[in-house]
Amino acid sequence: MYKTEIRGKLIDGEKSLGQISQEILAPIDAKTPRWWFIAMGISLAMLAFGVKSIYVTLTQGIGTWGVNSTVAWGWEIINFVWWIGIGHAGTAFSIFLLILRQKWRTAINRAAEAMTVVAVFCAALFPLMHMGRPWLFFYIFPYPNTRGPLWVNFNSPLFWDFMAISAYLLISASFWYFGMVPDFATIRDTTKSKIKKAVYGFFAFGWTGSSKEWMRYEGLAFVLGGIAAVLVVSVHSIVSTDFAVSIEPGWHTTLFPPYFVVGAIFSGFAMVLTLVTLMKKLYKMGDFITENHVDAVCRILVFISLIMGTAYITEIFIAWYSGSEYEMYTFFKNRITGEYAIQFWGMFIFNALLPQLFWSRKIRRNLWIVFIISLFINLGMWFERFNIVVTSLSKNFLPASWAEYHPTIIEIGFFVGTLGMFSAGVLLFFRYIPQIAIAEVKMISKYNTQQYDHLKPGHHDYE
Amino acid sequence: MNKRYLVGVFDNEHTLVDAFEKALEEGVVIEEVYTPYPIHEILTGMKNKTRISYAAFFYGLFGAVTLLGGMYYAAVIDWPLHFGGKPFNTFPSFIVVTIVATILTITILTLLTFSVRSKIYPGKKADIIDIRATDDKFIILLDQDKMGMEKPEVTSLFQTYGATEVYEKEANSN
Repeated sequence: MYKTEIRGKLIDGEKSLGQISQEILAPIDAKTPRWWFIAMGISLAMLAFGVKSIYVTLTQGIGTWGVNSTVAWGWEIINFVWWIGIGHAGTAFSIFLLILRQKWRTAINRAAEAMTVVAVFCAALFPLMHMGRPWLFFYIFPYPNTRGPLWVNFNSPLFWDFMAISAYLLISASFWYFGMVPDFATIRDTTKSKIKKAVYGFFAFGWTGSSKEWMRYEGLAFVLGGIAAVLVVSVHSIVSTDFAVSIEPGWHTTLFPPYFVVGAIFSGFAMVLTLVTLMKKLYKMGDFITENHVDAVCRILVFISLIMGTAYITEIFIAWYSGSEYEMYTFFKNRITGEYAIQFWGMFIFNALLPQLFWSRKIRRNLWIVFIISLFINLGMWFERFNIVVTSLSKNFLPASWAEYHPTIIEIGFFVGTLGMFSAGVLLFFRYIPQIAIAEVKMISKYNTQQYDHLKPGHHDYE
Repeated sequence: MNKRYLVGVFDNEHTLVDAFEKALEEGVVIEEVYTPYPIHEILTGMKNKTRISYAAFFYGLFGAVTLLGGMYYAAVIDWPLHFGGKPFNTFPSFIVVTIVATILTITILTLLTFSVRSKIYPGKKADIIDIRATDDKFIILLDQDKMGMEKPEVTSLFQTYGATEVYEKEANSN
């Protein structure tokens, strides 16, 4: 059971159920604020840069990128892994905290899931463009065809990856959407605008809140939650096999799957923190996303940061302990020192050291510092992927093929474009979709009131 | 055909559950309960059963068998390839795709089942009894022709247990 006196209130202020719907729906009913248009303008400009870069890539080919035959994977794979990592938090948030019965998740899970869907969409663009001839991408679907019939290679991690990402995108989107159906019904039934009533009514799927519907809804959430937990772990493990099953020095380790899964959850939670601080400040959702919520996410980040630090040190230790000179070279001459040392130390400081500041309650409660640290963690996680992809490829077993890698403006534009797409998606979410799961917050609102103490013993603590 | 309903409106979960349990004890037949969020006592009290998790299990079984069978067919029967002296049936590496795609199969088919069984689909017009049930009110719906108790008695029972309103309503039954 959630102990309010120990963990703090889940919702600030004595709110009636009607107030809860009203306050969460306020941004949808209110006039769009000016900063929203400015932010949207910037996002769309960034997106336009990305579209231009994709156009150049499509018409002129991968030669416009800085990748070469040695460093064949550049920013595209770094960004792919980075985005998919961020995309992990939404489902991880909902599922793991649901399994652990953490009631505070209810205020944040909607935003986290929204972020997941947009981030996975951004991620999927990179391998698609990296195919070189993306218009033939359907060759990767394993279906009986007229090309032989030639099948895809079921043993290839790249094919596993394709399956994993498509499944993850579909599943996280449907998980997110079905969570919203009761909230869309609330909008349909409370709004005064006829257009909104029609539009949200369409998306509410005829939801009425009858006990039959809730029964099946709960059953569905149970099934989807249970299997999506497996999916969260397996998708990023599969992403890690893209690296781990190859024989490049620094990649061929058994540490990779757990290391990637934890890293993904780490970067995703950091991005969740970025988003909820924005929601708190820009949309005055502070009553629902209280200091205690931010505090809880920060505590999780300290814990995961320790795991990250352990993983980094384990890698270095094993490189030395293995006695393999290639591993030794990669880690000691090409990561800790060498031309890519900045990225290594950026990764180490931002991911393993900086989040340790969250041990301090004062820092956890200072929204500005929390916001800034969350951005640095995202940067650090980007450095981690740079560190993995570029250092191993640039200096592999054969010194004759060593090469350097510098991104071109096209690659940078592509990345900036996905950043723009992400922020545009998040802005649309802020504006048109209830940012917080209304029904779920109502469910936990009883823990706030005096009345709850008087409930008779037979009343269950219902999750 | 239009049916005559009796609608009890409650302000919070606490009074609703009390009235609901009392009414069941007294032998009142409850047609349906509408709430803004799921309430355990109501879901068990209404004796609704869902078999969606069994359905999900069989979808998973179907998905896993189909996927493994499909990959075996492609890699062993239809287009066997020698690579590095490895067996055609590289079972362990088929597991990866099997897990992920089985989860996808379960999700899609379970969602479809949910949609079909609960009659919830895009653009459906909701049969709303009381529009406040998705916001802040808890509604108990009784069919006046078969509620197992007289109207004044039910009304007073609801009111004793904290109903804020009890009113009659005619609606299309379906």
